[in-house]
Amino acid sequence: MFDLIGHLGLGFATALSPTNLALCFLGCLVGTLIGVLPGIGPIATIAMLMPLTFKVDPTGALIMLAGIYYGAQYGGSTTAILVNIPGEATSVVTTLDGHAMARNGQAGIALGIAAIASFFAGTVATLVIAAIGAPLTKLALLFGPAEYFGLMVFGLGLAIVLARGSVLKACIMVVFGLLLSTVGQDIETGQERLTLGLVDLQDGIDFAVLAMGVFGIAEILRNLETPESRDVVRSAIGRLLPSLADLRRSFGPIVRATGIGSVLGILPGNGAVLAPFASYTLEKKLAKDPSRFGRGAIEGVAGPEAANNAGAQTAFIPLLTLGIPPNAVMALMVGAMTIHGVIPGPLVMTKSPELFWGMIASMWIGNVMLLIINLPLIGLWVRLLKVPYRLMFTIIVLFCSIGIYSINNNPADVYFTAFFGFVGYVLIKLGLEPAPMLLGFVLGRLMEEKLRQALALSEGSFMTFVERPVSAVLLLMALVVIVVAVLPAVRKGREEAFQE
Amino acid sequence: MNAIIESGPPFTGTKTRSRENVVSADNSPSSPLQTPLLLRQDFLGGVLVIAVAVFAFWQGADLPVGTFGGMGPGMLPKGLALLLGLLGALLVLDAVLEGGSPLDRWSIRGPLFVLGALVAFGLTIRPLGLVVAGPLAIVISACASNEVRWGETLVFGVLMTVFCIGLFKFALGLPIPLAPWAIDY
Repeated sequence: MFDLIGHLGLGFATALSPTNLALCFLGCLVGTLIGVLPGIGPIATIAMLMPLTFKVDPTGALIMLAGIYYGAQYGGSTTAILVNIPGEATSVVTTLDGHAMARNGQAGIALGIAAIASFFAGTVATLVIAAIGAPLTKLALLFGPAEYFGLMVFGLGLAIVLARGSVLKACIMVVFGLLLSTVGQDIETGQERLTLGLVDLQDGIDFAVLAMGVFGIAEILRNLETPESRDVVRSAIGRLLPSLADLRRSFGPIVRATGIGSVLGILPGNGAVLAPFASYTLEKKLAKDPSRFGRGAIEGVAGPEAANNAGAQTAFIPLLTLGIPPNAVMALMVGAMTIHGVIPGPLVMTKSPELFWGMIASMWIGNVMLLIINLPLIGLWVRLLKVPYRLMFTIIVLFCSIGIYSINNNPADVYFTAFFGFVGYVLIKLGLEPAPMLLGFVLGRLMEEKLRQALALSEGSFMTFVERPVSAVLLLMALVVIVVAVLPAVRKGREEAFQE
Repeated sequence: MNAIIESGPPFTGTKTRSRENVVSADNSPSSPLQTPLLLRQDFLGGVLVIAVAVFAFWQGADLPVGTFGGMGPGMLPKGLALLLGLLGALLVLDAVLEGGSPLDRWSIRGPLFVLGALVAFGLTIRPLGLVVAGPLAIVISACASNEVRWGETLVFGVLMTVFCIGLFKFALGLPIPLAPWAIDY
């Protein structure tokens, strides 16, 4: 307990330095600015803005990146409420009641309660991270290669189950991602693999390039095909602060959703994506009058927003303690950390405590900033949302180009982004969801490394994964999760859950 | 996880499920099995997946596989390519037997100009700098939309380039070439 206070003290001392405070503010601001643009989720936002942090010291850079991440998250909710366009999967739920509230002339209250719910969830999630970060790190040090491998297989299993569409297609995408991750030099022999003889592929495919192509560019291509029907709320935003009755009604959902989000966010394989759905379903079941949901029930905004934010934040736990990114956003964080010479994993906390705890403290500060930035700036976001798409996407293309070029100052990265944009377009057209592919790609290299280590230690015997209890349990869980998803009864339920 | 399982209806047996499959794919005018094979989304998807797998296997053909105890560089690329090919074959089989959704309409204009804008940016950024690459990327990508208006796009391209130069070059100090042909950077 005293440890916790001491750690947080160190963290706040780091995060509250004027430079870091300014970086956190800047991150939140530009993150929201880009995140508010329709069709741009946190992944594309971070990939685009990553170069902004290159000139800053590692701690400051991570604080800023985290700020960008929260800003992008919150910007996504703003778009969901005001325009009915979810920036990413997790804000889909917010569009249901959030946009309905906006139509009822309560746009301000919807935005206000979203900010308050996010703030509450963010505060709790920060405490959760601080509390279980340290013990989990100790646990992680006991993990051998077999356990790591088992954990990542479990993560991919969850990713397959959580993907929309058929389980077979999700499996295909995971394997495709794993295959893409083998491109580049072999980790042991340095031999070139699948590089097609291209020098630019020697170090493998850059994650930011892949993510930007598949999520940023392909998304633009998809949006261009559907004729523009943006439904920007025309009525006044109105009062921002919810009334006491609204707050009382939202309190329960917020608390419950924070719990749900915090737990799901820790799961490897992007469990966080499930949190808003779970919260919405729960609140609808608990409500006295479920028919209000979908017509502007404030609980339907408060709950999912809290769940979303809690999950977004506890997703840092597997990254910071185990070095395993649970989703694509965290994978980008890995990329950014590596650029600054920080290898995420259990050693970060002991080797550079002020970075670790500073980042955690800045998460809370970031949540305060969002509250401060967003409530007065909502008018600006609304005006931004009225820019017609025929102009908006061109500036997105330019930002993408500059961002990607600046990562390595290499024009080839821009070409590869164009290529993966095309790949993403083809995948969309074939009904293959790119999210599991990205996770397969993210975990691929580490999985290969751990698999090879584990099998080298056991002299080629696969029994090592079964003999070690932790890895056996993890692999069993992965198997159970996938088998359960294929069972007809659950499959139907899953389809319905995603349709909602 | 739990929420999803619980929200599902109780087990209703395979009979309902097969009917559900037909109904869920009813955005085609008739039964999905009447869509020509080549126009079924999953059939083409599966064939493409197999093609990618074959290509990867062929590219990695020379890599030594090694043993499980001492894996060579080729073990995973080839193993994964095999697995991918297998899964692709399953998808093709599924498409042949069950039908699935018909293929979407593909557009050429959007991909052509958006991807073209990226390539143009990449080609011009080093020799000509952001001063040229910026407006070029905006103008070319603007052609991807069929509502393009020339005057507006040109003004917007110039304004945004100025904004980007201020932000990325001066505020953030990123080493992006501005106009190497006219000034030193």
